[in-house]
Amino acid sequence: MKTNFQAIVIGAGPSGSSAALTMARAGLDVALVERGSFPGEKNMFGGVLHRLTSIEEMIPDFWEVAPLERHIVKKGISFMTGDSSFNTVIEGGNFDTPPYNGYTVFRPKFDNWLAGEAVKAGATLITRSTVDELIIKDGAITGVTIVGRSGQLNAPVVVAADGVLSFTAKKAGLRGGAFDPAQMAVGVKALLDMPREMIDDRFGLVREQGFANEFVGCTDAVRGGAFLYTNYDSLSIGLVFHLASLRVSGKTPYNLLNSFMEQPQVAKMIRGARLQEYSAHLIPEGGYNMMPELTGNGILVAGDAAALCNATGLNLEGINLASHSGVLAGKAVVEAHKNSDFSKNGLETYRKSMNDSFVVKDLKMYRNAPQMLHNNRIYSEYPELVCDFMENIYRIDGAPKQNLSRLFIKKASEKIGLGNLAVDAFNAWRAI
Amino acid sequence: MSINIDEIFDYTSFSIDREPHIVLDNSICVGCDNRGCTNSCPARCYTWSEADQKMTFVYDGCLECGTCYVVCHRNAFTRWRYPRGGFGVAYRMT
Repeated sequence: MKTNFQAIVIGAGPSGSSAALTMARAGLDVALVERGSFPGEKNMFGGVLHRLTSIEEMIPDFWEVAPLERHIVKKGISFMTGDSSFNTVIEGGNFDTPPYNGYTVFRPKFDNWLAGEAVKAGATLITRSTVDELIIKDGAITGVTIVGRSGQLNAPVVVAADGVLSFTAKKAGLRGGAFDPAQMAVGVKALLDMPREMIDDRFGLVREQGFANEFVGCTDAVRGGAFLYTNYDSLSIGLVFHLASLRVSGKTPYNLLNSFMEQPQVAKMIRGARLQEYSAHLIPEGGYNMMPELTGNGILVAGDAAALCNATGLNLEGINLASHSGVLAGKAVVEAHKNSDFSKNGLETYRKSMNDSFVVKDLKMYRNAPQMLHNNRIYSEYPELVCDFMENIYRIDGAPKQNLSRLFIKKASEKIGLGNLAVDAFNAWRAI
Repeated sequence: MSINIDEIFDYTSFSIDREPHIVLDNSICVGCDNRGCTNSCPARCYTWSEADQKMTFVYDGCLECGTCYVVCHRNAFTRWRYPRGGFGVAYRMT
């Protein structure tokens, strides 16, 4: 096996493959190292693949050739209690015209395809290889050791795209030792088989249209939420929990997922489906405040490894940030090769281009959102308030009607407390 | 529709390595005041026995998510790394 390269990318997920593709296109000899037996084997998400503008520049027909599922035309939020739900859905005409805003995808297919594009461009994909140690000479990273296939790979620069726990970034001293459970979430997901026609009929879809729904109030007061996405002939359904809340709750992710799937309105949506696969993954939800150092001597950090995830409650983005950071990291490595300077200083163009990109700008703008979402009331009292209020509005039983604003204030003071309501509204406003 | 976590091998594929990728020093778990791993692990790899005052850990059905690594505030791991390349969980369609 060839062991000397001009760059090593650790992890063939969206950020790693984007970095490898960028560098290979620029003519660099790149190793793309993946611990799975194929790229995407270890990856899952509960999400929607949004526009990847920097990939579209390199692969102009990206949206025609990538293995995608349905494009999302309907997006909903449900406020849920044990037996009720209040749903809002936007179905936008613009969401049904290309370029589409987002797609459902299967990660084992999509990630494998993107890595394949990097290989087509000339990158060397090395699967079944878990990076074990960084090789450090005179304070600079010069390679890695791998286990699975065992051996050593050498290069003057390494892109750490090794995912949310990034042991590489830790070993390089770019992030602190222990993670804060308050900055991490775990997602669990069930992949459910359902015939295509049934999905179309049940969710009001035609052609290749898709539906994405998020739920709040369905986690038995653990901070978190749920999601349901339509693939061609399957549903992705799952829950996400803040770890700081889950670990003290005594509740288990799978039992909460079962309860969610048994909630009467959810049960109707998934009736007739068959469980195909169960998966779990961590999400770095701490946002801007959680980001590690992006560069060191001979190393750059991209994607989940750099905590590039935007979870504001309404938008949930990760792959687009990961991919863009990978492209920028790749460009910085190309630049560093021109100057033969792989020091932290020589790689600073990555830091600068990241700061100028939507990735860091968005994370910075929403830097208070993670803290705002650490409000337990969002996950039980508010959904209850919404459902209760709406039920009261629609209930017609011969009793005289109440003034709506007075009814709202009465319900809100019962469930939330008016002082809390004011504080929560202010915090939400400030955060988003 | 429900997930029986004891039957995880019926849903999710694994290629199990003989050598564990996570090694727990369960003597540390005895004095733990939280044991958040037991309920937080999405694959129920950690089981605390109140009768035996003992933590049992199995790595076979580990989904490699990292939850235990983050919630364990006692740092009870002698080793926590991903499985050797080619081993561990293998998602097909998630």
